[in-house]
Amino acid sequence: MTGRSEAEVRLALRDWVRTHATVEVPETFDDHTSLIPTRYLTSLQIADLLLYVEELRGKSLDVASLRPGVFRDIDTVYATFLADGE
Amino acid sequence: MTGLDSLAATPGLTWADTGQATLAGPLLELAERLDRRFVTLARRWRAVELRFPPCIAAADLERIDYFRSFPHLATFPVCLDPDDDNLARFAAGDPVTAGGRVALSDLAPVEAVLTPAACYHLYAHFKGASFEAPAYFTTRATCFRRETHYRPLERQWSFTMREIVFLGTAAETQGFLDEATYDVDALAAELGLPLAWAPASDPFFRPSRNPQYLMQQVHPTKHELLFDDRLAIASTNLHHDHFGRAFDLSRTDGSIGEPHPVHSACVAFGIERWLAAIVHQVGFDPVRWPEVGS
Repeated sequence: MTGRSEAEVRLALRDWVRTHATVEVPETFDDHTSLIPTRYLTSLQIADLLLYVEELRGKSLDVASLRPGVFRDIDTVYATFLADGE
Repeated sequence: MTGLDSLAATPGLTWADTGQATLAGPLLELAERLDRRFVTLARRWRAVELRFPPCIAAADLERIDYFRSFPHLATFPVCLDPDDDNLARFAAGDPVTAGGRVALSDLAPVEAVLTPAACYHLYAHFKGASFEAPAYFTTRATCFRRETHYRPLERQWSFTMREIVFLGTAAETQGFLDEATYDVDALAAELGLPLAWAPASDPFFRPSRNPQYLMQQVHPTKHELLFDDRLAIASTNLHHDHFGRAFDLSRTDGSIGEPHPVHSACVAFGIERWLAAIVHQVGFDPVRWPEVGS
C-alpha cells in the first residue's frame, strides 16, 4: 500500500468511481453500493479500476485468480485487495 | 452413460473432417424434435420467431468489438474480385489443388462474416429501435466457429443454435433468466440427462487482456448447462446493456422515466450437443432415444 489510511483509500476509490462511472452516481453512493448491476462500471471501467487498485496497493494482480464478487462494491474491493496484509 | 469415446458411428451421422456433420434419418428427426421443444419453451413468452440469413455484416459485429474478442473463431465468406481478367485467371488455372485448397485469384472486399451466434442478427436487425414493453424473440441459425480441433456433434465448425432472446429493463432480464433456467431444468429432468449449471466465460482471444473476459470473471453473466461436467449443451447469458448501447436500442416505457438503453439476456441451445448428450446417455440405438414431444 502507499502509506494512506483506510479512510483515505476508501475515499480515493469512491472518487474514482464517481469520476469514471458511465451513469450519474447518486448522492447516496457509499462503500456498500453495488457497482456493476447498477452499470456505474462496465467492463471497460472494471479493467481500469483493476489498474487503479494495482496502483493503490503497489503491486500487480493475477487476473486469472480473480473470483466472482470481488468488485461487488467499494467495501469488497478494499477488503479483498487493499486491507492490511493484502 | 455409455462411455462412448467418439460419436462418429451414430446412426444417421456423416462426419466430415472439416468439422461438419450431415444428419439423416432418426438423428435428424431427433434434432428437429428437440428444436420444436425449444420453440415450445419460447412460446411461454409468446416469443416472435425470426429467421436470418447466414451472413452478418462485419460492420455490425465491429459495434461489439467482436473481431478483437474472437478473431480466432471468425469465418469469412469470400468472393473473387469481379474484374473479368481476374475471373479468367482463376478459371484458367487449376481452381482446386490436389490437396483440396482453392487457388484463389484476387478477392473482392470482405464485408460480412458467417454467423457466429444466432442472436447477433437480432440486435443488428432492430438497430435504433425503441421498445415500449418487454420483447421476446426466438431464432435458429447455422453458426460457424473456427476451432483448433473438432469432434462429431460436440465441437463443430458449423452447428445449429436455437436462441430465445429477451429485451427489456435490468430488473426484467433477471426474471427472464430465472424463468428460462427453471424451464430448461424441467426439460433436462424430462429427458433424464445428468446436467448441471456452472458459471462460464466466453472463449476470448488473449483473455487476460480483454475487459469483457475480466468482467465475466468478477461478475459472472454466463452460465452453461453441462452434460457429464464437460459438455455445454445450453447457456444463459446476461448482457446488461452491452447490446442495447452498441446497437442504440432503447426502452421508452413511461414507468422507467427517460429512455434507457435496452438490457438483454438470452438462452441458447446447441442442438448437435443435445444430440451428443442423448447418444452418450442411452447409446446408438434410435429406439432408445427419447421422444422429446412430438
